[in-house]
Amino acid sequence: MIRLWRRNIPLYMMFVPVIIFFILFKYVPMFGAVIAFKKYNFADGILHSPWVGWDNFKLLFSTPTTLQIIRNTLVISLLSIFVGFPFPIMLAIMLNEVRRMWFKKVVQTLVYLPHFFSWIIVSGIVITVFSQQNGLVSGVWESLTGSTYPFLYREGSWLAIFVGSGIWKEAGFSAIIYLAALTSIDTTLYEAASMDGASRWRQIWHVTLPGLRLTIVLMFILSMGRVMEVGFDQVYMLQNSTVSNISEVISTYIYKIGLMGSQFSLTAALGLFESLVSLILVLIANGIARRYGNGLW
Amino acid sequence: MKPSFGEKIYLLAVYLVLAVAGLLCLLPLVHIASVSSSSLQAVASGHVTFYPIGFSLDAYKQLIEGTPIMRSFLNSVQITVFGVIFSMLFTILAAYPLTRSYFIGRRTYTFGIVFTMLFGGGLIPTYLTIRSLELINTYWSLWLPGLVSVFNLLVLRTFMENIPTEVDEASRIDGCGEWRYLLRIVLPLSTPVLATLALFYGVGYWNAFFNVLMFINEPAKFNLAVLVQQMIQSQTMLSQMNAASGSSEQIMLTPEMVNAAAIIIMVLPMMAVYPFLQRHFVKGVMIGAVKG
Repeated sequence: MIRLWRRNIPLYMMFVPVIIFFILFKYVPMFGAVIAFKKYNFADGILHSPWVGWDNFKLLFSTPTTLQIIRNTLVISLLSIFVGFPFPIMLAIMLNEVRRMWFKKVVQTLVYLPHFFSWIIVSGIVITVFSQQNGLVSGVWESLTGSTYPFLYREGSWLAIFVGSGIWKEAGFSAIIYLAALTSIDTTLYEAASMDGASRWRQIWHVTLPGLRLTIVLMFILSMGRVMEVGFDQVYMLQNSTVSNISEVISTYIYKIGLMGSQFSLTAALGLFESLVSLILVLIANGIARRYGNGLW
Repeated sequence: MKPSFGEKIYLLAVYLVLAVAGLLCLLPLVHIASVSSSSLQAVASGHVTFYPIGFSLDAYKQLIEGTPIMRSFLNSVQITVFGVIFSMLFTILAAYPLTRSYFIGRRTYTFGIVFTMLFGGGLIPTYLTIRSLELINTYWSLWLPGLVSVFNLLVLRTFMENIPTEVDEASRIDGCGEWRYLLRIVLPLSTPVLATLALFYGVGYWNAFFNVLMFINEPAKFNLAVLVQQMIQSQTMLSQMNAASGSSEQIMLTPEMVNAAAIIIMVLPMMAVYPFLQRHFVKGVMIGAVKG
């Protein structure tokens, strides 16, 4: 026993800084979330500010603005998840069909690239390309219809551009995981299928997709954890006052009202609500998947 | 077996769609590069597509002389270099003990770490923590809160676990201590995955935006992302004002060109390292996918 402890000394020398990090920057903020139940003020700090019970939450769920913001968040993220979900799968399946390796390499290099650009870059590109004055898309649109269209200033087209830019940035990179899963499918299954006269389509349907099922379920569970969040950078960059009715989401609201407007307790309550719903959604998704033997844990 | 006519059509369609997808990812960037290096008249008339018209580097000149972009660039470099060093150090220190079967409390720590991936205190409590530690307006506020990415930690742990135990036993007999074993055996064997993680951290720090917006208030300390964002934001306001007033007059140099030049400057370092690291990150993601 003493030998075991002595053997652990160097390990703990490595690990203690890590423990301190997680406590200080992950668990302290977790307990700091109690200010959602307080009326926070600078003078008293987190510990000594007065308790107010559920008041912040009551205020949140009785204010039309915050309700609309929660609704916007759900609409935008569910659209992004469900519309974006098939793209990496299709991309991976198509890449898997390619036999010319140089072609596959080139396409992979290109489609992985946008993942490494920040949303500042991607939004900058989007704003330039869709600019009403002399943007590329607007130019094409004008030559087709004879008039310009304010793509970024109409709710419908704004949503489409938002979802589309997300797919543009991440579909390629997300395909890597499906490609990895595809390499593990037994090739004899394809041979057997083609012996039986199955066309390419039927092979995809009966061999490829079942082979991807586990990965698809896994990715779906993970995406459930993001239903309540819309990445701050993307929304913050693309939104404008004209479409604020649909583009203001939880993260931007917490930043603007909470940090800039010093409404710490109210927005901490909103943040806590967001975290809890995310946690519950992941647990539910995993529970359902586990019932079918595909759980994450 | 010769492919049938239907199969040929099918394969042709696959190649075609993939080619289009690849081009779609590249062309917007080519367009921005063309805008940034064309003449003012060509950009204003909207004729620039995928190659520069009336080649000129005035936009870059104006960008470097008229905006603090060089300072922001150096700030970004500083944030990225130190950030990657700190993050890699802590990720290694976290991952290695978790791979040792005799590490006391291993399961508890693993659970405690993974739990932070599922649940967090949220933005406001994190901000208040950083502020009470008096880290606002220092780069420590960018390095410390995201020091260890749990995903990266799990990738590294999985990789280290797969190092054959015979190597371990052999070096034990030679009387090799934990630190030496980590430095001499484990880390050299992990170079591919370490390169991947360094890339992921580097990209994260280089692209850092929200944290800088939150924690850094002095413009002299802004990084490229925040500077470029402010430039683009002011352009949007400008074009909204133009659209409202109905005037078609352009301001001297369309800010679009300057913004395009700024975007290119921010993308360039990424493009420079990307080809070298591409084969590594694919491997890294796959390790992470197997045991997420």
